Amino acid sequence: MKKIAVQVDDLTVAYNYKPVLWDIDLEIPEGVLMAIVGPNGAGKSTLIKAILGILKPIAGSVSIYGKPYEKQRDLVAYVPQKGSVDWDFPTTALDVVMMGTYGSLGWIKRPSQKEKKAALEALEKVGMLPFKNRQISQLSGGQQQRIFLARALVQDASIYFMDEPFQGVDATTEIAIINILKELRKAGKTVIVVHHDLQTVPEYFDWVTFLNVKKIATGPVKDIFNDDNLTKTYGINYKVSIQE
Amino acid sequence: MNSAQIEIQLIASLVAVACAIPGTFLVLRKMAMISDAISHSILPGIVIGFFITQDLNSPLLILLAAITGIITVVLVEHIQKTGLVKEDTAIGLVFPALFSIGVIMIAKNANDVHLDVDAVLLGELAFAPFDRLFIAGTDVGPKSLWIIGAILLITLGLLFAFFKELKISTFDAGLAASLGFSPALIHYGLMTVSSVTTVGAFDAVGAILVVALMIAPAAAAYLITTDLKKMLLLAIIFGVFSAISGYWFAHWLDASIAGSITTMLGLLFLIVYLFAPSKGLIAVMYREKQQRIEVSLLTFLLHLKNHDDIEERHVNHLNEHINWQKVRSKTVLDLAQKNNMIEIDNKIVSLTEKGDEFTSKAIDYIITNEDAQIEDMKDDFFLFRG
Repeated sequence: MKKIAVQVDDLTVAYNYKPVLWDIDLEIPEGVLMAIVGPNGAGKSTLIKAILGILKPIAGSVSIYGKPYEKQRDLVAYVPQKGSVDWDFPTTALDVVMMGTYGSLGWIKRPSQKEKKAALEALEKVGMLPFKNRQISQLSGGQQQRIFLARALVQDASIYFMDEPFQGVDATTEIAIINILKELRKAGKTVIVVHHDLQTVPEYFDWVTFLNVKKIATGPVKDIFNDDNLTKTYGINYKVSIQE
Repeated sequence: MNSAQIEIQLIASLVAVACAIPGTFLVLRKMAMISDAISHSILPGIVIGFFITQDLNSPLLILLAAITGIITVVLVEHIQKTGLVKEDTAIGLVFPALFSIGVIMIAKNANDVHLDVDAVLLGELAFAPFDRLFIAGTDVGPKSLWIIGAILLITLGLLFAFFKELKISTFDAGLAASLGFSPALIHYGLMTVSSVTTVGAFDAVGAILVVALMIAPAAAAYLITTDLKKMLLLAIIFGVFSAISGYWFAHWLDASIAGSITTMLGLLFLIVYLFAPSKGLIAVMYREKQQRIEVSLLTFLLHLKNHDDIEERHVNHLNEHINWQKVRSKTVLDLAQKNNMIEIDNKIVSLTEKGDEFTSKAIDYIITNEDAQIEDMKDDFFLFRG
């Protein structure tokens, strides 16, 4: 039996007293590359934010390798939705990647050469080193997403949470990103991705969670990624042809 | 210059620096209007503080007024959170209410004291040197200089200590929260500094100028630089420049110093807005014109590449076929020739090797739309600029 990387118990999250996530129980085993799928408003991003303590749940608990998230921050990296930040902010690609090192630095302490070196290496990994000094608004959507990925890589975490990393990126970037995610899995990391494109689920991921306010199903893609669960999640008679 | 003049300019400059620092972050957080709200709604705090201390420069008064500033922010957020009204409406509801309470309190109780609505709105920098601080009987300078100096020192200390935290929570509050930097704590810290600075600057420059000093220098700096540290530095320089030039403008006009400084801030922003190197109005218009020409050029080159028959490549036919006016055709033709992309032989236009290569690359880019090729193209297109 594999170790459990993320455990969610009876999690309920509400906006203005309207629950957007109902009583979620979820166990994510170590070393999986997992997609969270569900229709708009299913609470996919909310689930990630609640796990990371960005949103306060009204009930339930979350543990990362058996301990509360607050004690395990060093083990976790987070890639928010690209649209959640202002890309006109006066800063460079390198500086954004450096922000990934702030967590290990803690309050007040400034990044040094060591952090800069780590950030440059992460930029290299995502193929963005030539753009390190570019102002972030001057980058294309795909390049911005790579910068976000580099910022997560620099944290050198065990668990990566990514909120729609493929949104608005070109095909080349999508392949580059999925290759990096697969490498992470190979290195024993756990990767959890909010994903929209159902067609690519079997190709990209080995684990999947169906979510629509409640958890519909979770498990290996080959066992549970089927029309039955898709229909339960999306409410209509859903059919995808799964490539064998 | 006499010592009073120097003191006034010094106070105005310190106020400008103290305002530019929180102002930069307010602008980046799209919270400029909050500074307007704070500057007005601290009035009841000042009045209550004045009744208790009978001294406009007392630290207790500053503290009370700053607390009113924080209450404003909390009230605005609370009203906004109900989802019934948007943030700007919430601001518009909260600060006039608090401000009017202050106005009524002044009218009812403070008729015979040195506190009136005019002074609150516009400040009176010219009188600042008269209110002096004595330590053990020695005159150490104007009180407002010491107050704003102390506030500035605290602001600078906080900025140096928490620069990283301010930056990350302003750029990406979600990441900041996940890394354990409480964005709420930093938010209220910034609001506290803004409130205290506003109160400290209030007596010298009044409620309206405080807002201008917070927002205008930061907004102008934002148009010029793409680096947060440089933005802070530029905002400070702009603020101090407006403070000093505004003082001399007022001296020359024999008018209100606060009004003159605000006028300078407005002029400065206008100049930056027009002439900023890449975001300025003129630069944007120039760039758009260049892009139009570049697109025309590419259209023209593509046409040449797609048509081999001589008829299609005759100069006169080109005008008809591409359907451009003569002037535009000539500009594009000249540009292509200048860059050795075409040659004209007996009024027949053909692509040179360089032109052919460039066109292929351009088509390739348009079809594939890949990031890496955009970079190459950008370099190529720069050839046509200047």
